[in-house]
Amino acid sequence: MAEISDRVRRQPDSVPVGLATLLLGPATAVVAMAMVIPLIAFARYGFNSYDRIELMKQAWDIGNYVRFFSDPFFLGVLLRTIGMAFLATVLCLAIGFPIAFQLVRTQSRFKSIAVFLIVLPLFISGTIRCVGWMIVLARGSLLDTVIVTVSGARIDLMHTTLAVLFGIASFNLPYLILTLQSAIEGVDMELQQAAEGLGATPQRAFWRVIWPLAFPGVVVAAILSFVLAMNAYAAPVLLGGPRFQMMAPLLYWEFGTQNNWPMASVVAFVIMGTTLLLVGIASALLLRRR
Amino acid sequence: MAMTSAVSTRTSVKLAASDRLLMRLSMPYRIVATACGIFLLFVPMLMTFYISLFDQPFITFPPRGYTWRWFTELYADFGHPFMVSLQVALAVVVLSLLIGVPAGIGLSRYEFRGKGTISMLLLSPLTIPSIAISLSILTAAIAIQQRTGVVLTGSYSILVVGHVLIATPWVVRLCLVSLANHNRAVEEAAASLGATPLVVILRVTIPAMRQGMIAAALFAFIISFESLEMSLFLVSPGISTLPVATLNYLEVKVDPLIAALSVVQIIFVAAVLLVLDRFVRLGRNIVH
Repeated sequence: MAEISDRVRRQPDSVPVGLATLLLGPATAVVAMAMVIPLIAFARYGFNSYDRIELMKQAWDIGNYVRFFSDPFFLGVLLRTIGMAFLATVLCLAIGFPIAFQLVRTQSRFKSIAVFLIVLPLFISGTIRCVGWMIVLARGSLLDTVIVTVSGARIDLMHTTLAVLFGIASFNLPYLILTLQSAIEGVDMELQQAAEGLGATPQRAFWRVIWPLAFPGVVVAAILSFVLAMNAYAAPVLLGGPRFQMMAPLLYWEFGTQNNWPMASVVAFVIMGTTLLLVGIASALLLRRR
Repeated sequence: MAMTSAVSTRTSVKLAASDRLLMRLSMPYRIVATACGIFLLFVPMLMTFYISLFDQPFITFPPRGYTWRWFTELYADFGHPFMVSLQVALAVVVLSLLIGVPAGIGLSRYEFRGKGTISMLLLSPLTIPSIAISLSILTAAIAIQQRTGVVLTGSYSILVVGHVLIATPWVVRLCLVSLANHNRAVEEAAASLGATPLVVILRVTIPAMRQGMIAAALFAFIISFESLEMSLFLVSPGISTLPVATLNYLEVKVDPLIAALSVVQIIFVAAVLLVLDRFVRLGRNIVH
C-alpha cells in the first residue's frame, strides 16, 4: 500500500497545484510586472514619433528604426560598439584561455587563491574597476610620467580607444576565464593522456583532442564576453570621454539629454535584440553539446 | 609493406617539425598571456591602493608624501550615497529572499507544464541588459504617474524594485544548487509518514537549505550594492547610490579620495566573498 501511494506521489500530475502556485507565483508576478510589462510598454514608444515641443506623439511608424539604420551617426555608434566588443573578446580569449587551462590542470595549493582573485573583480562595480584604469592612464600617472621622461613628448592615454578597450577587456576577463574553466573541466583530461600514450606530443594531443571538445564552450564564453562588451557603460563614459560613443552611453544620452524617448527605445531594443540573438545562439550550442 | 612504412615515416617527420614549433611557442605564449591577465586584472587595482595613500589632492609622481587622511574624509563626501546603497541593498536582500527562495523550492521539487518557461522568465533579468530594464521601469513609473497621480519616481522603492529584479535570479539559482545537493529521500520519508507538502517544505526542505540561503542573501546584497547599470535611470536628486555617485564624481576628476573609496569597497567585497566561500564553491556556482 505504502509503495503504491509513494509511486503516485512521484507522478508529475500529483503536484499540489495550490502550493506550487504559492511558491512560484510571487516571483513570477514581480518579474512580469516590474520587467516584462514595462519592457513591452517601452518597446511601444519606439514606434511613436518625436516632436520638439510635445516630445512624444502617439503614432505607429517604423521611422525611428529606419533612421537608426540609415543615419551615419547611429550606424557609426553601433559599428564602433560591435568593433570594440569584437576586439575585447579576441583579447580576452587570447589571454583567458591559457589561464583557464592552467587553472584546470594545476594541483597547486594556490589554486583556490587564484580562483578567489579572479572572482573578486566580478562583484566590484564597473565604476570602481574604471578608477584603477583612470589612475594608471591619467595625466600625471606613473605611466604618463615614465613616457614623458623617456620620450620627452606627452602621449594622451586617457580618452582613447585603447583605454576603453583595456577597460572593457579587464571587465570581461574574469567572466571569460570562469566560463572557459568550466568548459575545459567538462573535457575528459584522460583523453590527453591517451593521445600522448599513443605517441602524440602534448601540443598535438591538445589541438587534436582537447581543443575540438572544448570548442563549443569557447564559443559560449566568447558570446558572453561580446554581450558584456555590447552593454558596457562605465568604461566608454569614463575612459573614452564625452566624445567616445557606444550603445549604452548613447541610450543614456538620447533619453537624458535629448529627451527623445522614441529614439531611446530604439537604441535600447537594438542592444537587447543583439544581446538576445547572441545568447540564443549560445544556448542552442550548449544544448547541442549535451 | 615497404611503401606504407615510407609514407608513414615521411608524415611523421613533417608532423615533428610543426610539433617542434608548437612546443617552442607554447610555453612563452602561456607566460605572456598570464602576465597580460595579471596586468589587466590587478595592476589597476594595486595602483588604486597605492594612490589612495598620496598626501596631495591630485595625482603626480613622485608624491609629496603619504597619509591615511582620505579614508577618514570619505564619510563626509560619500556617506549619504553609501547609506542609500546600504538601505536599498538590505531591503533587496529581504524581498529577493522572500520571493526567490519559494521559487527555488518550487522549481526544484515539482514537475509541471510550463516549468521551463517560468524558470527562463525568472532567470532572464541576468541576460537582458540592465540599462534597458532600468529605463523601461522609469518610463513605466512616469506613465503610471501621469494616469493615476501616484508618485513613484524619485523614491527608494523604485530603486528597490529594479535591484530585486537582478538579485532574485541569483537567489533562485543558489537555492537550486543547494537543493540539488540535498538528499530527497528525507523529504519523501516525511511525506510518507503523513506530513503535508507544506509541512515538508517548512520542516525539512527549508532547514536543509540554510547554507544556500545565507549564500543567496550575501549575493543579493553585493549584487544590489555594486549595481551601476540598474541604478542609472532610477536614482533621483537626493537619492543616489554609491556606484552612481562615484561615476558622477569621476566624470569631473580622479584623485586619491576616490581611490580610497575604491579601496574600501574592494576590501569590503573581498570580505563578503571570503564569508561566502565557506557556503558555496565560488568559481563553480557563479558561471554555469
